[in-house]
Amino acid sequence: MSLPYYHVNVFTGIKSCRVMEDPQPLAKVLKKAERPLMVFGPKCNEVNLDGKLLMEYGVEIAKTLGAAVCATANTKKKLLELGVTPDSTYDAVEIVNHLKDPNWKGVKKQGNHDFVLFLGVRPDLGNQGLSTLKHFATHLKTVTLCKYVFPNATFSLPNLKDDKWKEYLENLIQGLKS
Amino acid sequence: MSKGAVKQKEINKTIRAEDNWEPIGPTPMPEMSDLRRWDLRLMKTYKPFYAPFCDLCCFCTYGKCDLTEDKKGACGINISGQQGRWGLIFSLMGCSAHGAHGRHLIDYLIEKYGEDYKIDLGGQVDVEAPHMRTVMGLKPETLGDLRKGIEYVERGIIHGVSATHMGQEGSDIDFESKSLHIGMLDHVAMEVADIAQTIGFKFPTSKAETALSGLGWGAVDKTKPVVTCVGHNAAVATVMIDHLMKAGIYDQVEVTGICCTAHDNIRYSDKAKVIGPLSKQVFFLKTGIADLVMSDEQCVRCDIPQLAKESGSALIATSDKISYGLDDVTHKEVDEIVRLITQEGKQVLIRDVDKAGEVAAKVLPVVAKNRKKELVTKEKAQELAQACKKCELCDRVCPNFLNISTAVSDVKEGKFDMMTSVFARCVGCGKCEQECSKDIPIIKIMQAAASWDTYNIRVGRGPIQDVEIRKVGAPIVLGTIPGIIAIVGCSNYPEEIEEVAEIAEEFAKRKYIVVLSGCAAMAAGMKKDAEGKTIYDKYKPDFDAGGVLNVGSCVANAHITGAAMKVANIFAKLPLRANYEVIADYILNRVGAVGLVWGSYSQKAFAIGTGCNRLGIPVVLGPHSAKYRRLYLSRKEEDDWTVMDGRKKELVNTEEPSPEHLMVVTESKERAIITLARLCIRKNDTAQGRQIKLNHYISLYKQYMGSLPDDLQNFVRNDKDIPIVYKKEVSEYLKTVGWKPKPLLTLPTFIGTYESNIPIDAVVK
Ligand code: SF4
Ligand code: SF4
Ligand code: SF4
Repeated sequence: MSLPYYHVNVFTGIKSCRVMEDPQPLAKVLKKAERPLMVFGPKCNEVNLDGKLLMEYGVEIAKTLGAAVCATANTKKKLLELGVTPDSTYDAVEIVNHLKDPNWKGVKKQGNHDFVLFLGVRPDLGNQGLSTLKHFATHLKTVTLCKYVFPNATFSLPNLKDDKWKEYLENLIQGLKS
Repeated sequence: MSKGAVKQKEINKTIRAEDNWEPIGPTPMPEMSDLRRWDLRLMKTYKPFYAPFCDLCCFCTYGKCDLTEDKKGACGINISGQQGRWGLIFSLMGCSAHGAHGRHLIDYLIEKYGEDYKIDLGGQVDVEAPHMRTVMGLKPETLGDLRKGIEYVERGIIHGVSATHMGQEGSDIDFESKSLHIGMLDHVAMEVADIAQTIGFKFPTSKAETALSGLGWGAVDKTKPVVTCVGHNAAVATVMIDHLMKAGIYDQVEVTGICCTAHDNIRYSDKAKVIGPLSKQVFFLKTGIADLVMSDEQCVRCDIPQLAKESGSALIATSDKISYGLDDVTHKEVDEIVRLITQEGKQVLIRDVDKAGEVAAKVLPVVAKNRKKELVTKEKAQELAQACKKCELCDRVCPNFLNISTAVSDVKEGKFDMMTSVFARCVGCGKCEQECSKDIPIIKIMQAAASWDTYNIRVGRGPIQDVEIRKVGAPIVLGTIPGIIAIVGCSNYPEEIEEVAEIAEEFAKRKYIVVLSGCAAMAAGMKKDAEGKTIYDKYKPDFDAGGVLNVGSCVANAHITGAAMKVANIFAKLPLRANYEVIADYILNRVGAVGLVWGSYSQKAFAIGTGCNRLGIPVVLGPHSAKYRRLYLSRKEEDDWTVMDGRKKELVNTEEPSPEHLMVVTESKERAIITLARLCIRKNDTAQGRQIKLNHYISLYKQYMGSLPDDLQNFVRNDKDIPIVYKKEVSEYLKTVGWKPKPLLTLPTFIGTYESNIPIDAVVK
């Protein structure tokens, strides 16, 4: 694992993420998920990757994967504008709190999720929520799609510049579609 | 250990059991586990949620121990227990800081006035100390009684600390119960400290409309000698102001402060000025505007001696809690100390309040002479930024994830907008500058990008008046005043410093009661509208619908929670005396008060929040606060929302998650606002009150989330609860989600839903 981009997320522990340098193996792993959930954080409203809103990448990934959608913070409005009605609206810590419970019915009431994708959550809050899941939700896998290393996720992207990140997300979407 | 006859006798003596102002309730001076059943009841609904910051424990020489997933440490503790232990430690740190502050003030004031010095908070405050009354069962009359309060807190702290030793407590729930206990003691400590300073330094009390004081680094006249007090204990500053007045030079100098001492200084003299919150400490000290820096205690940076030296400011440290390795000159004569500072340029520690105040007043005009105070100009900033090679090392260490590298590179090209925005979000840690491989003085560059505007802050008013409680008690409990929003805590906001003012104004406009304290009260004054007015200029300072009031420094927070207790006492006529469980239950189920710690920073803020939680007041936190690792969350759909109908003595499944959480983190301002509005909902609301609360909740949700709230069905009990303006829309929505009317109840209480010695009748008056 490389050092997280933000030092505030520096890792102090034993079990850390697998950094997925290449999007294709990640796409492969994701495709195996039975009940994936995509969690949108507030950066999805703000970050623009060369003309395309981060949220749009997230929506495309969720759609391709058939993932349920959870809107956190103030992302619901923008999702609605993009024509996506989220399956649930929670704060980041609330959805994490539900995910901890293996018997939870999930946002679609069809059973708890087995794979959770996070995009656009504030890096410190995100890494801590992932720590909750790492310790208390061993029944699920997590992946972060932000451009930084998140040590507490199961799978993480490497630290990337915006152009490489865009490329990664695009290749990931291709991989999911193929 | 249960209480034996000797212990009971001691308690009776301490609280003067024979005084019959109210009957003594079930828990006078509770020990660590005496309210445990209440805590367990709270945690049945609001379970601890942990987000471990570190997977290891390194508390003893067995370790480091890996506690990942279900692994146990060599002592048997697991990761939940370890997080609970951290929570207790944070609460203890916070409570100790307030407690030691109170202890110092009381010892000083007792030396000065004697222990029989009377407590008099003016004609409008009869219930002088709701926390001491409710927790201890003591109605304090003198400074000596206040000391009893601190002694009680000190005793609690020993037991709390001992539980954190390796191999003692192992259960997360029990760590939490202890943490809640220490949080409760923290409010006693704060109340004691603020009453002591109010009577000892004659701060305003029993007055709502206090003066407005100057706020902001721009408010300081740097052509005058400037002293800057940093910290939380105003004892030395008050003495210094007296000496400056006596010498006839008070008008010719600037007495300024950062953090809570600044609040207390303006309560002592409204000519003093507030520079700003904790997050501006490094920024201001690096300007060199202060000729003399005086540090006291708590939230004072550990590198003040270096910062002062670098800026050419003199330094007097005045607290034995922060000695900085300086020479202790307490025993020397005043003139000799003045000489050491003014002629030898020494930084000193003076642990005697009166001597430190006198020395400061003498030193100030001398050290100010011949000092040049030049701020960094735009041209200079551009020159300083030239070395930047955009390596991004600064960005990587920023705890607020700011894009400093771009801001510095922009300055290099003479563009300052980005740096202005970084400055507005900067939490003032100084890490970027430390990390810079080119030694660029980033914080100094901010001088050229910062606004140097002057603002106003309302001088802290101390306790809420009894007469105000009489007026608002009924509307709060019935719900027609939609809630009390208490904005407290430090200043590491996720976004701009102006966010706090925006949140406060959103609720003031909607006729909630907005109460502020500490650094949050300062930040709230740092935004002006188009007409140049701050929220303190615009809103009335009353504890009433649409009021915006500042209670004062951190320790004045006790008056906010105290106001909720007073509603139970003055409006609902419930006795306070040693009756904590009943009062907390009343507040949880019937008083729509919510705290917002948007920029939690110190452990004191954590202890305050934890104390609010035991008292039934939910707290919303900003994203930084997740690093305290513990929240209290419910799961609205899954949890059991059964309460007792106190009048009918029947259990009722209300199906209503109100309040939904006790401590929750929100990530954006918009989400915080919505959550605050939701957490003001209480089971006791009348239909009219519920309509008003839902009206705000729906309109805020629509504004920020673009739809009706998707949990609306949880809060509509029957048709009468639906706000008229949204009637059609809400009715249609409720149909689509299969909503059914919910049972109504007249007096919601937790008493009777768990094993307790409290009879249900105790909540009925
Ligand atoms: S206190 Fe317990 S878990 Fe921590 S280092 Fe010691 S043995 Fe290990
Ligand atoms: S660390 Fe210094 S040199 Fe590097 S980007 Fe930041 S300001 Fe520029
Ligand atoms: S001083 Fe401000 S900008 Fe620099 S690292 Fe700290 S918070 Fe970030």
